[in-house]
Amino acid sequence: MNQPRLSRRTMVASGGIAAALGAAALGLTLPRWLSHRYAPTPYDDLLATLVDREQAARLGAVARASLPSFSARAAARELRQRFEQRDLAEVLDADIREGRIAEIGGWLLPDSLAQLCTLAAG
Amino acid sequence: MNAFIDARAIPTGTILQPDVAIIGGGPAGITLALALAQTPLKVMLFESGGMEFDAKTQALYAGKVAGVSYLPLDASRMRYLGGGSNHWGGWCRPLDPIDFERRDWVRYSGWPFGIRELQPYFRRAQALVEAGPWSYDRSTKPMAEVAEPLALGSGGVYTSWFQFSRQRDSVLPTHFGERYASDLKRVANLKLFLHANATHLSLAPNAARLDHCEISTLNGRKFSVKARATVLALGAIENARLMLASRDVASGGVGNGNDLVGRFFADHPIPRDTATLVSFAGDIPGYYFNAYDLNGALVRPAFAPRDDFKRNSKVLGSLTTVENAVELDEVGKAAVITTALSLGVDASNAKAYSVGCGLELEPDPERRVTLTSDRDILGLPRLKLSNLISDSDFARYRMTMRELGRQLLAARSGMMRLNLKSREGWLAALDWGDHHLGTTRMHVDPKQGVVDADSKVHGLSNLYVSGSGVFPTYSASNPTMNLVALTLRLADHLKREMR
Repeated sequence: MNQPRLSRRTMVASGGIAAALGAAALGLTLPRWLSHRYAPTPYDDLLATLVDREQAARLGAVARASLPSFSARAAARELRQRFEQRDLAEVLDADIREGRIAEIGGWLLPDSLAQLCTLAAG
Repeated sequence: MNAFIDARAIPTGTILQPDVAIIGGGPAGITLALALAQTPLKVMLFESGGMEFDAKTQALYAGKVAGVSYLPLDASRMRYLGGGSNHWGGWCRPLDPIDFERRDWVRYSGWPFGIRELQPYFRRAQALVEAGPWSYDRSTKPMAEVAEPLALGSGGVYTSWFQFSRQRDSVLPTHFGERYASDLKRVANLKLFLHANATHLSLAPNAARLDHCEISTLNGRKFSVKARATVLALGAIENARLMLASRDVASGGVGNGNDLVGRFFADHPIPRDTATLVSFAGDIPGYYFNAYDLNGALVRPAFAPRDDFKRNSKVLGSLTTVENAVELDEVGKAAVITTALSLGVDASNAKAYSVGCGLELEPDPERRVTLTSDRDILGLPRLKLSNLISDSDFARYRMTMRELGRQLLAARSGMMRLNLKSREGWLAALDWGDHHLGTTRMHVDPKQGVVDADSKVHGLSNLYVSGSGVFPTYSASNPTMNLVALTLRLADHLKREMR
């Protein structure tokens, strides 16, 4: 019985498609492998709102240094209330409008953002 | 033309008898002399110095400073014709309406009248300081057409405007002595004496009027001036010194029956680099740093608290200017990136600037000048300035800065860092405006003020004080243009009274 044989053209084309798919998959996942990977925290839902968590953490470290009694749990509880059915832009707008301005190392920023930065500092 | 008279040639024992004697040839004295021109009044002005700086004359100002660091008393003033205008920066801005009000959060606040009383004099004062057309807060619209200003969200701070004096269209502020010397010489009813130092105010035995003022020169001549009305225009510090030192009839000094002369001294603290202001969009217009010529008015913006914000937040006046570009450290960069990204703003071209300011102080009777046992070569006791500044003065300014920072965030135009927090930090950054204020404060009640609403010394029928020493509260505005306006008002009063 004659086995069906793959033509050379089919094999080359299949190999090309496989290579392209592999490259695409690698391209999609590579940045994630190369970027900073953070240990999971109980506050990842909140920290996910930060666009640049590394910079936020750098700023938050200054706040942490001056707030030895900072309670991450209490801050997260407060933030989750503020974020209820609202996105970051809306929360920050409300802070600014209502005068909830915090100081980190002298920098004046919306209180919720300051809390997020402090949480990001770990 | 009346040439100026060298008092060193006046024979000892001479008694001069003008209608009005003006003691001091700074902006107030010169303004008054010019304003009394073309009246029937015979006016004489006595200036301690000559036409130029002279170290021996300047040394008469030397004194002691205690408390918060301050420029030496012989360095913060100028003792020759033109007085303080010989070293001023030319910054002008009218007082705000709230400056005249009694504010329940500001001790000892309240003028005897409102801004309406001074408004008729502002335009003439503006002309005398040569600050160009009256633009100030009318500059906002036309300047926005020059270049878009830094946007602020709605709130308690707004963009106000300074104007600058410039002598005869040059870039210099108006030096009153040099600028108005020829005008003064043309005043037919004026005699101006140079090198004439007032050393004593001699009251009549009943202590109800000034009998005469004694004048001494550095070459040993002594004569007296017996005027119908005498106006002290020596500057806030020296007015108090002369009044306190004249104790032969009134033991506490002239006009000092209620121990107020010399008290309530003030100046404008000018702390440097109080804050860092970041513009997310990058460069801010050059007119924030360098005055811009707007149709003949040199203007420069400053951030000022609105009157309703002052009331609601119980803050005092302040004028905050953008000074120079600065670099951010890593934390600063992190703050800008994090905040801008979170607000959905592109801050890739963000620029940072240092911020400076001038502050209004709360009146304090313990910030004062007193006599010491040291005497100058004319025999006048030297002074000690006890300089104080309270933490609440700094804290109030910080509140205004926080509001400005909030408004920048609201507009998504920028953000701020407050650079000074501790008292030590504030004091280390502190400079002063050399705006001497408040030693002979104005109040209708003799128990609360040295002069009445007409600048006349309480209890004396013919002695007046002119200049910023009579300001009961100090505003954050620079005093020269305002004291000139107040002096023009005094001139009108004297014209009415001495008809």
